[in-house]
Amino acid sequence: MFPRLLWKLLRNNRGRLAVALVAVISGATVISALLNVQFDISRKLTQEFQMLGPNLVIAPPGRMQTQNAGAASAPLMDEATVAGQIERTRTPVLISAAPYLYIVARVADTPVVVAGTQLAEAEILNPTWKQETGFPRYLPATRMRPADACIVGRNVARQLKLAPGSPLELKYLNRTAAMTVWSILDSGGAEDNQIVADLTAVQTLAGMKGQIQVEQLRVNGTSSEISAYAASLSKSLPGYDVRPVRAVSEAEGNLLNRTQLLIFSMVLLILVLTALCVLATMAALAMERRADVGLMKALGGTISRILGLFLAEVGVLGAVGGLIGCVAGLALAQWMGQRVFGTSITPRWEIFPLTIAMMVAVSMAGALPLRSLGKIKPAVILRGE
Amino acid sequence: MAPLVQIENLRKEFANVRALDGVSFDVQAGEWIAIMGPSGSGKTTLINILGGLDTPTSGRAIVDGTDVARLDENGLARFRAEKIGFVFQQFHLVPYLTALENVMLAQYFHSTTDEGEAREALGRVGLTDRVEHLPGQLSGGEQQRVAVARALINHPKLILADEPTGNLDEANEGIVLKLLRELHAEGHTILMVTHAASIGQLADRRIDLAHGRLATEHVARKV
Repeated sequence: MFPRLLWKLLRNNRGRLAVALVAVISGATVISALLNVQFDISRKLTQEFQMLGPNLVIAPPGRMQTQNAGAASAPLMDEATVAGQIERTRTPVLISAAPYLYIVARVADTPVVVAGTQLAEAEILNPTWKQETGFPRYLPATRMRPADACIVGRNVARQLKLAPGSPLELKYLNRTAAMTVWSILDSGGAEDNQIVADLTAVQTLAGMKGQIQVEQLRVNGTSSEISAYAASLSKSLPGYDVRPVRAVSEAEGNLLNRTQLLIFSMVLLILVLTALCVLATMAALAMERRADVGLMKALGGTISRILGLFLAEVGVLGAVGGLIGCVAGLALAQWMGQRVFGTSITPRWEIFPLTIAMMVAVSMAGALPLRSLGKIKPAVILRGE
Repeated sequence: MAPLVQIENLRKEFANVRALDGVSFDVQAGEWIAIMGPSGSGKTTLINILGGLDTPTSGRAIVDGTDVARLDENGLARFRAEKIGFVFQQFHLVPYLTALENVMLAQYFHSTTDEGEAREALGRVGLTDRVEHLPGQLSGGEQQRVAVARALINHPKLILADEPTGNLDEANEGIVLKLLRELHAEGHTILMVTHAASIGQLADRRIDLAHGRLATEHVARKV
């Protein structure tokens, strides 16, 4: 009988309930779209942030190393120790880590800063690097890169008249290293004035086997996540300085936090507005149902059983509205993704039950006026007052 | 044998109006009582108190051993569902439920629903072919017969009928009174409020109220 009564209640009041349903669907649509955008935008912004380069640095204690500091005067770190601890504390937020050793070598009597690093990791760390290799773009150039390959900054290449494939001899004190120019680098940064070469080769040239000056890392997440990772790394490397690159990581974190705050504020506002709309409809319905409730009470209905019926009706309203809104919200999220971010939004299926649950809860909150039906005196209603 | 209904010095006041003023009488199980009197004499108030729809200001109204005045909200609901069958002058059917569903609604609030039993009850009042009709599609007499079927469905101890033929034409009045006579013959206890002396004469006993007091009590001659 319960489903039968529920169906009749919904059918009989379809006009009024349609107004509340439209409000719930609208609310669910916008909330579902915003949440889909929110979850996906974090991922998309994080991808965008990767373009900004490293955001965490490990350096020897004392002072943070700069890229132009000479190796001879700079304190050094043990490469294996740092790499081992990074591997031990590795979490999914760590995107890449590249060790660096900087020396000032000579090429044909011209002093040049040479950065020794793991070239593949450095390229992941700096996705904005533009390299001219001379190979067609479709070839997997990185795989064919020989051990003696080096990347030459465009200013150095111009000065020394180097091109991809040119031989190069690096001199450091009384040692030399023969290399081949793999590519000309246009980074828009300090690397344009450097030669970036394989770390082992530079360590051998400098006579500093297993030594590095700095480790640069790219960690994804909010500023608190980055700080947490830095803290855990710092704990496992007590002798070293582990610091987020504040300007980058804080800007990223703040942007993510503000976006989240904005979206969650809007979700809250929409929930309140939806509840108010349902409230208005239910207040009118409560007035209309006084006679029904009076009769139901006269027939022996307890208030909990009668109100249970009406609350179930409101629950169905919230669930159906939430479900329709979720589907519409997906379409809206796609539209917003294309219009605002120029990319599609990947749907998050966990938003479906979340939105439906929120709509049911909001509808229940909006059904507050139905509680007044509990005070109805059947004798008064049956007298026609 | 203890009376099914015992009313002792029952009083009910609304603001400054005394609707019932020390009414006392008993009703034996199986009796048909007609409560008569002019408008405002307290007939409906008496029925409402006996049916647990209202509470007395003082006095006792005991139905089947239950003092209605002592019941709380849930106790009154249970009392109405289990012991009372109401028939109202205005029928009071839920307009968006069919005749069958209106009868089943009383079952639903009593315990569990039984569609077969509800159909049988409607068949008994001559509405076998009207079970799926909405109240708006039924005549006044048919609506009142649905109300009678609804009142009977939970096998109540006491049937309270407030002007059951007050809104009916002569033909339908006859049908409803015939039903009440049948119910009485089967042993049901009926308390019926009526204005019409001709209808009051059908009862075993007639109780006249005036200004909230028991005016006269007659044992009717059986027709």
